[in-house]
Amino acid sequence: MFNFFNEVKQNIKSPIEDFNIINMSGQILYVEGHKGLIVLSKEEIVFKIKKGTVSVFGENMLLAELNQTTIKICGKIKKVEQN
Amino acid sequence: MGLKNKTTFCVEGLNQEKVLNKISKEIFLFDINRISKEKTIFSCAYSDRKKVEKCLKSNNFNIVFIKNEGFFYIFSKFLTNYGLIFAILIFFIFYFTQSNLILQYDISGESVLQEKEVVSFLKENLSRNKKEIDLQEAENALRTNFDEISFVSCIIKGQTLIVNIKEKLLPNEIYGEFEPILSTKNGKIKSIDLVSGTLNVKTGDFVKEGDVLVLPYVIDASGEIKEVEPKATIVAEVYYEGVAEHYQSKVERIRTGRVVEKNSITLFGLEIYSYEPDIQFEKYESEEEEVELVDNLLLPLKMKKTICYEVEEVLVETDFENVKEKFIEDAKQNALSKSEGCDKIIEEFYTLRHLCGMTTVNYCIVAEQQIGGNNDN
Repeated sequence: MFNFFNEVKQNIKSPIEDFNIINMSGQILYVEGHKGLIVLSKEEIVFKIKKGTVSVFGENMLLAELNQTTIKICGKIKKVEQN
Repeated sequence: MGLKNKTTFCVEGLNQEKVLNKISKEIFLFDINRISKEKTIFSCAYSDRKKVEKCLKSNNFNIVFIKNEGFFYIFSKFLTNYGLIFAILIFFIFYFTQSNLILQYDISGESVLQEKEVVSFLKENLSRNKKEIDLQEAENALRTNFDEISFVSCIIKGQTLIVNIKEKLLPNEIYGEFEPILSTKNGKIKSIDLVSGTLNVKTGDFVKEGDVLVLPYVIDASGEIKEVEPKATIVAEVYYEGVAEHYQSKVERIRTGRVVEKNSITLFGLEIYSYEPDIQFEKYESEEEEVELVDNLLLPLKMKKTICYEVEEVLVETDFENVKEKFIEDAKQNALSKSEGCDKIIEEFYTLRHLCGMTTVNYCIVAEQQIGGNNDN
């Protein structure tokens, strides 16, 4: 059954509270709204999100940008997993 | 080396992710590359390098190297490393430029001439550049412009132009003040010893105080007037007169001995107390005296004391013949007091004049005295 209030509640989520992952043809991965880096290596990069973690697997990966809320990963990205 | 302003750090340490998270909260990091388990290379803006370095050190990270890139880095390096070279270069340029200039003038041997005159002449007529100065020309110009110079030599030593002057030996008479010699007394000229100048009087002339004795110039054979400092010794007979007057009868005031005192005390000029008894005397003379009552100036109390002496007038008659010697002596002393400093007394005489009960004694001293000029010739 359509619940108007549930719909509004879902749609008014702040982008900071949530996260976005943009993968550009497996070469660049752009993440918004992360909560901190956990693992950093050439093969695996793991970072926290609001609810859980995100693991990025690949080859010769490089953290091209890092600030409080965004991460930009460059390299050959093979797989992105949310736990 | 790119022009983008960035600093690259290569760090070693444990738990690097935690530290990178901590730094990234404040500073934007980029190109983070984990080389090995313990070594990471990352970059930050050149302006944030100090904050990052501080943060890494506080977390006990070992910084393997720091590499700076960008325009601001090149510029600051240039300023620190090449600034000194530039400063030295500018110093040498300045030094070589100014070493070609004359900065000081050293004049020696001048006595009649003023050093300032010579220096101002050199500054006006000579270039400051050492290469442009012709010393021969400078010497000629100095000789031409200053009559007092007999010989002059100029040399340049370092940045100083040394001028050695030898002045002409001119007679002293052409220097000094060209003022005439004036008579200082009334008298009759007895002798004249002229050294320089033109005489305006001759022996036997009677002169008054202020008369011109010697003029401050000479006329040469061609009729040209030349100014000189007049010098002469002029001796004259000077007359000093002393007068004493005698009255055959005169009224004298004699104090009887009776006295009345008046007192008044003042504070800041205002009278605060006074004692003034009635004076019964027919004739009296008074003497006033003011005394400070206290030593300090806090209360300037003053007492004014007036003493009135009773007098009576007595007619005294004396014959001049009885007191003649005394009056002549008085007149003589009077004349002698006026003739103080005279060289030699030649003659002295007196005259008596009787007129209506009054006798005047005129005592005259004739002295020989210098009335103009000086002896230091």
